Amino acid sequence: MISSSHKRLAVAGTATNQAPFGSNCVRLTGYEWFIVAVVISALFYFVPKLWKHIEKFEPGSDYRLPYKLSDDYWLYSRYCRWACSEEKTLVIGDSVIWGHYVSENNTLSGHLNKIAGRDMFVNMGVDGIHPVALAGLLKYYSRDISDKDIILHFNPLWMSSEKHDLQIEKEFNFNHPKLVPQFIPNIPCYKVSSSVRIKSVIERYISFFSWTSHLKRAYFENLDLPRWTLEHPYENPLKNITLQLPTSDNYNGNENIPWYEKGVTKQDIQWVAIENSLQWRFFKHSVQFLRKRGNRVFVLIGPFNEHILKDGSIDVYRQMKKKIEAWLKQNNVPCYMPEALPSSMYRDASHPLSEGYAELARQLSENESFNLSILN
Amino acid sequence: MLFHTWSFVLFFLIVYPIYLVLKRTRFRLFWLLAVSYFFYGCFHPLYPILIAYVSLVDYIVVVRMEKSSRRKGPRSAGTKAWLLVSIFNNLALLGFFKYGGFVTDNLNFLLSSLGIPYAIAEPGIILPVGLSFYTLQSMSYAIDFYRGNIEREKSFIAYAAYVSLFPRLLAGPIERAKNLLPQLHTTPRISIHDVTDGLSLFVVGLFKKVALADYLALYVGKVYAAPEQFKSPALILATFLFSWQIYFDFSGYTDMARGLARMMGIRLMLNFNNPYLATGLGDFWRRWHISLSSWFKDYVYIPLGGNRSGKFKTYRNMFLTMIISGLWHGAAWTFVIWGAVHALGRFLTRELEGTSFYKEKVPRLVKQLFVFVFITFAWIFFRAENISDAWLIIVRIFSSGLANPYCPILTLTLIFAVWLYQFAYESRIKWILELRAVRVGIVIAMIIYLAVFAKSSEAPFIYLQF
Repeated sequence: MISSSHKRLAVAGTATNQAPFGSNCVRLTGYEWFIVAVVISALFYFVPKLWKHIEKFEPGSDYRLPYKLSDDYWLYSRYCRWACSEEKTLVIGDSVIWGHYVSENNTLSGHLNKIAGRDMFVNMGVDGIHPVALAGLLKYYSRDISDKDIILHFNPLWMSSEKHDLQIEKEFNFNHPKLVPQFIPNIPCYKVSSSVRIKSVIERYISFFSWTSHLKRAYFENLDLPRWTLEHPYENPLKNITLQLPTSDNYNGNENIPWYEKGVTKQDIQWVAIENSLQWRFFKHSVQFLRKRGNRVFVLIGPFNEHILKDGSIDVYRQMKKKIEAWLKQNNVPCYMPEALPSSMYRDASHPLSEGYAELARQLSENESFNLSILN
Repeated sequence: MLFHTWSFVLFFLIVYPIYLVLKRTRFRLFWLLAVSYFFYGCFHPLYPILIAYVSLVDYIVVVRMEKSSRRKGPRSAGTKAWLLVSIFNNLALLGFFKYGGFVTDNLNFLLSSLGIPYAIAEPGIILPVGLSFYTLQSMSYAIDFYRGNIEREKSFIAYAAYVSLFPRLLAGPIERAKNLLPQLHTTPRISIHDVTDGLSLFVVGLFKKVALADYLALYVGKVYAAPEQFKSPALILATFLFSWQIYFDFSGYTDMARGLARMMGIRLMLNFNNPYLATGLGDFWRRWHISLSSWFKDYVYIPLGGNRSGKFKTYRNMFLTMIISGLWHGAAWTFVIWGAVHALGRFLTRELEGTSFYKEKVPRLVKQLFVFVFITFAWIFFRAENISDAWLIIVRIFSSGLANPYCPILTLTLIFAVWLYQFAYESRIKWILELRAVRVGIVIAMIIYLAVFAKSSEAPFIYLQF
């Protein structure tokens, strides 16, 4: 019932010609708001934790995050925890690591596992993640990977134009906007409202909200409930929560055709100067951040498809590689910067085909620095 | 920076503690004014200049009216002239910003109909958000002073804060000076009840806007964007959903506005009182956008003569008031027709209410249903893009045949739940809704629904366009 204090207030209100409360009974006292706060806090805290027990997540050998869950950072965080509990070496990077044009056992981690003879490497690649977003992913959603061995990949493709480097003023939809810095430093092409920015920040710290995003992505075709019901007006949304996550190899992009057979011609890439590159700046930040967290980091650069570059672009690219190498050496970061693979082993400017991954894994396994820092 | 966005939450979290610190000092009103202007400036940096201009003109007008009435008497020609300055200034602003395009379109249409090969250039002016609301509020201050209903406000800061108070700045309630100015002058006694009541109102408003109005808008928007592609059931359902969408949208805004003000120790008037339970059109307008209805009653209907001079003049005055009210809502012929339809509805239900059969024999639920159907029909003109679309929708409702409407069951379930709640609220079983478990349960359910299921939306409130 309405509390006696509220009744007194209502009477007093009438006496002093105050406005009536409203046209409903949803009027809580301080004590009742306290109950609401306790219940909501408990739900916010426990539901995501309980969900991990309800929803089965058993990554097998050579597992990679399902393509359609690339933006599901709650699941990524869960994947990190699983990988660390298994004492694996994590291979982190963008679609080159994820294996955009190959099946899950033909990725770099897949081939490294074949060479190692056991499931030692985990594919932690995320499709489309660029270094600025990767820094956010590592900082906010990968807290469990402290002290672990990490192979961190850098794809020079992200410096191949001002647009890739997120430096242009004109707004465009880039990948993983929730992971980039929302306020400082300013990303010129990121022009969403401050509300969207604040929401992204809140989602990083309150796992309940990233869990709700997980529900959307895993069960509702990445739509919020209202939009989903518009597409499925007569279906019961609860029935859609099957607790069965999409499989990891449902991506239908396996093509073993080299780039030149797909009609791709040589390109004159306008590389962003490394000194001004936002992507490189954030990659450096990720390396330093991981090392501070106690991770042993091994950096893999490329291998970029140099065969696709016109002469002028190759020269600039090689100078850029030298500068990258210099910074890594200067900071004592173990790394490997392979020469370009044979042309037939690339699908496009940066993605190797299965043979390319096998070759890269072989080269890595023979690399002294890799052996010292990862295999030992 | 709308109430249902995170930016506003951040804004309020900064503004409110400072307000509490300053509430007993003379800086309280300065703070209130500064944050209100900042809030308004977030929509456009020039808007604060406009509202300052409106406030300043009406403040000076009333100063001059007071001087004039001291010298020549309270309702002298000089006083009246100053009142006309206020009315002209406010209506001119509305005319310039709101009706410029409408007048130009109609003049161009007239010129082309007369075969005159000349077209006036479109003014291309955007209506500043909230202008329609604060000009009425500011104008009412001058009129009330002229009528001797209020004293002159001595402090310009207090007056400017009254016009620009941020919780009610964008879409009302349109508060009278008599209610709001004394509250601004008194040191607010903010009790825990004010805070908890304010929170209760805010959460209910947020739920209405984000979980209900914005949800219904998806289906309504789809159907009304291309009415020629939909058949009768979809058009009927979209119109039905729009009835609830606009109610949830506007009353949700008002609830949030009242909640915020209440947390600051300021009581704003009730603006919606379960309007879809009305048993007549008159009853509806006493429950829907009450601050506007009473404004038009006090400043248009009664000055026109009200119901004092016989039936014909009463209906004429009602008709004119409703047409002006329609035109206030939007500068388009659809709104004029909407006002006219409502006026006709008022005549009809007024006559019906005069009969003993309607009064005594027709069950309350049937009256409510009748009024709701009528109001819903009138909303077609309100929502349609133009008159031809409205006409197309009406024709297709009656002639396009049947087809699966693909309307989400969940929308209808939510509306039914709200209607049932309101029905219970005005019935003998209201006590059930007052149970602690029910009230707490409803709030928890609303918050969880908002956190888990509601769509991420920054959709503006419908009434911001008026």
